[in-house]
Amino acid sequence: MQLPALPAHLLILPDIGLIVLTMLVLAADLTMPVRWRRQAVTLLAGLGLLTLVLVLWLLPYDVDRIFVGGFRVTGFALLWKQVFVLSALCTVLLARPYFVAGGTRRRLMGNHGEFHALILVCTLGMCVVVSAVDLLTLFVGMEMATIPMYVLSAYLKGDDLSAEAATKFIIMGSLSTGLMLFGYSFLYGAAGSLHFQQILAAAQANPDAPLLMLGIFFVLAGIGFKLTLVPFHMWAPDVYEGAPTPVTALLAISSKATGAVFLALLLYGPLAPLHATLKPVLLLLAAITMTVGNLGALQQKNLRRFMAYSSISQAGYILLALTGERHLALTALVFYFLVYAAANYTVFFIISIVGQKQDENFSALRGLGANHPVLAATLMLAAFSLAGMPPLAGFLGKFLLFAAAAQQGYYLMVAFAALNSTISLYYYLLLLKEAYIVAPESQPPVLSLDLVQKVSLAVLTLGMILPACLPRMVEAISVVCGR
Amino acid sequence: MDGPFLLTTIWLLPLLTAGCSLPVARQNLRALRAIALTGNGMNLLLIVWLTVRFMTAAAAAGTGEDAAGNWLYFAAQTPWFTALHIDYHIGVDAISVLMMLLTGIVIFCGILASWHLAQQAKEFFILLNILVAGVYGVFVSFDLFVFFLFYEVAVLPMYLLIGLWGTGRKEYSAMKLTLMLVAGSALILVGILALYFASGLFTFDLLRLSRTALPLALQTWVFPLIFVGFGVLGALFPFHTWSPDGHASAPTAVSMLHAGVLMKLGGYGCLRMAIFLMPEGAQLWLPFFMILITINVLYGAFGAIRQTDLKYITAYSSVSHCGLVLFGMAAMTWAGLKGAVLQMISHGLMTALFFCLIGMIYGRTHTREIKEMGGLMKVMPFLCVSFVIAGLAGLGLPGLSGFVAEFTVFFGAWANPDPMARLCTVLAILSIVVTAVYVVRTANTVVGGPLRQSFAELKDASLVEKIPVGILVFCLFAMGLAPGWIITLLNGAIAPIFNNLHR
Repeated sequence: MQLPALPAHLLILPDIGLIVLTMLVLAADLTMPVRWRRQAVTLLAGLGLLTLVLVLWLLPYDVDRIFVGGFRVTGFALLWKQVFVLSALCTVLLARPYFVAGGTRRRLMGNHGEFHALILVCTLGMCVVVSAVDLLTLFVGMEMATIPMYVLSAYLKGDDLSAEAATKFIIMGSLSTGLMLFGYSFLYGAAGSLHFQQILAAAQANPDAPLLMLGIFFVLAGIGFKLTLVPFHMWAPDVYEGAPTPVTALLAISSKATGAVFLALLLYGPLAPLHATLKPVLLLLAAITMTVGNLGALQQKNLRRFMAYSSISQAGYILLALTGERHLALTALVFYFLVYAAANYTVFFIISIVGQKQDENFSALRGLGANHPVLAATLMLAAFSLAGMPPLAGFLGKFLLFAAAAQQGYYLMVAFAALNSTISLYYYLLLLKEAYIVAPESQPPVLSLDLVQKVSLAVLTLGMILPACLPRMVEAISVVCGR
Repeated sequence: MDGPFLLTTIWLLPLLTAGCSLPVARQNLRALRAIALTGNGMNLLLIVWLTVRFMTAAAAAGTGEDAAGNWLYFAAQTPWFTALHIDYHIGVDAISVLMMLLTGIVIFCGILASWHLAQQAKEFFILLNILVAGVYGVFVSFDLFVFFLFYEVAVLPMYLLIGLWGTGRKEYSAMKLTLMLVAGSALILVGILALYFASGLFTFDLLRLSRTALPLALQTWVFPLIFVGFGVLGALFPFHTWSPDGHASAPTAVSMLHAGVLMKLGGYGCLRMAIFLMPEGAQLWLPFFMILITINVLYGAFGAIRQTDLKYITAYSSVSHCGLVLFGMAAMTWAGLKGAVLQMISHGLMTALFFCLIGMIYGRTHTREIKEMGGLMKVMPFLCVSFVIAGLAGLGLPGLSGFVAEFTVFFGAWANPDPMARLCTVLAILSIVVTAVYVVRTANTVVGGPLRQSFAELKDASLVEKIPVGILVFCLFAMGLAPGWIITLLNGAIAPIFNNLHR
């Protein structure tokens, strides 16, 4: 069934929609009676984001249009907006129990109005990043995506871990922002303009300019923080562990996706002439990142911290793909993030469910296989998808990432990455070991799933299986990225 | 039913079977077993039908050795991921058909052998069915990507199957097995990508790749990757270490399926992907691998002598016998290749029978230490006679399948005039003597001697247990006494590989 596409001048609708939705959420929080406030805000944010997803599906993907001089909407940007909006929707759904007594073992979160507004602002920032045509917009978008995260990671007021996480995050984040700005200034110096096209022209004219290289060096260091590339990853485990679980999920998926697409935009946009020079650096960073992430994950006991290391290693694979040729690399990147988000959110949902009455540790998973076979089977699918095992979508995602690097002839590096993902299989199997094999010390508490959680998990499970079976998704992404 | 549809049905049916048992209550063991048995029984019938149809078609086409490439039967190619040129390309040749027949028999017997399993039976049968669907999928796919996909599906359920239902150091063994096999498949993945990109063909189509002479430089480094990658599953020395632990810890049906069928996927992959696609690479590398494989054959046999646990003995003998599969390939002669396939089938049947019997004996004596057994012939004659038959098949007694296979392998290996190959052959033949030592000694200790008092009350096999043992024993004899049709059938499938190897 082919739905009619919306007219092209509505391409900016998702971004405007996010702004409107943010205001509506805040207004609802202020005006609604206390009794309904929580439900109203969640419902509004959830339905609003769902509408935006539908709008994004209906927009035309073959138009390239620039709004108000500096806001470019392409099919590629729309794909990423889909990732961000879907991810925000998942976070909203994931966060529901964390406001209600009995929903979590940790401290409850309050101020749901601000919480949802911050998530929306953050998502808007990410949407701005993918629509940027100059460094200034890029910077504004990036900051808009990051600053709400500082607040969100400190959301468990009075919780030591959360406070520690936020403090570390702010210090590290500001440092990275500073580095990035410093890098921009060099790029500006080299090109005489902040606009991508002028930078591209300058880079083409003189690809060996030291100013450019210096600029890229700092930008890379700055983005390294966002993308948790080693050696800029130190903050991630602490922040992931300390932040509330839904925020951790948002950090692991949306924030990382922003970092990846930021790098992709620069590498395949204004800095394309230098791409070949940068490849060795990217390969080295990728190799270190995946290894450190994988080795770090081996010893973890806390599930959120575990997911931090797991996502660090994933950043390594993602970086590997960025050495590839534009079309395949971008296709791989979009597809990977969509399926990676599905698998990651599945794990986070399960973490939040087992975390109802226990700390969110590995031991909380014990007895899951015997007492909640469906939940355990879902976890198994998610773990295999994250490890990149067929026939799940994660496999196709990783296959595309590896293919992008293999196309350039980096077979040794692909072999290294593939063997590395064997290490990652080890710790994903540890999840299954806890869920299926290790016997619980005491009778595990009965877990209750409400309808929303069941539906979300069912949809996410489909998201882990269908993209690998139905070729349409890859094909569609490939067509859009080929433009 | 047209051919390609039949092939798709065969790998889909186990998945449907798994799906059918989803709504069944966990306590309803009777229904769960019935579903698993019916599904796989029907599948076995389908495969038998496929075999008959294949034989008719092959007989009509003559030997099938013509160069037109029509050695692939019931083929169909449907585009799947067009952006990556991935096709759902299926078909069968004699090797696939025979391996599918083997799989069908082993899984059917395996389900009967795990009839009394009660712990989480639902999950057990579901995982077993997923695994076997992967195995069938590998044998029918002729697209590298699809091949690899099914291959991994066959490997992954092993972790839980061993970890959850196994015995002994099950967690350790399950993890070791899974990780080593997946590391092997990581190498295969790189190899596949290299074949796709570096060949310049941008295709995963096995047939197209096989018709192209790939650059020697490419073959030189891709061949060892893929050969070792599959070799891990084929228990190639020194990558065999997962095998004894894994087999010893696995539950009966899983040991049967794993040693009987899954290890053959390794050999099958080596033959189909490494040797067939990269014959020049094979010519270059196989002489070196032959040395490793000889160690395999001998080390496995000597390893078995040292063991006192029945499952470890069988596992080490599997290492030795699977070594013979690779040995036949490494000889690169007509008889050697044919012997390799025969040995896959023969070993599959034999080792499935072994593990099946060990499971049943262990279920009675609650020990697998041969020193603690003895005189079991007096209380369980049926099991013990079958045990001895399996052992005799292992040491290659004429009249049983092992003789046909091993003789062909050694005959084929000797046909390779290379002095190093001759030397390796002589050494490998010595393994038969070693095999005789541990088989006879084990059989003697378990079957003969005085009966322990504590075992006096034990019963012989029940009817449900006699069926799988009977089927497997019958197959061993059938293949040993009438191997002609298999050997004739194989001609058509070996020809393209052999011709490629000596083009």
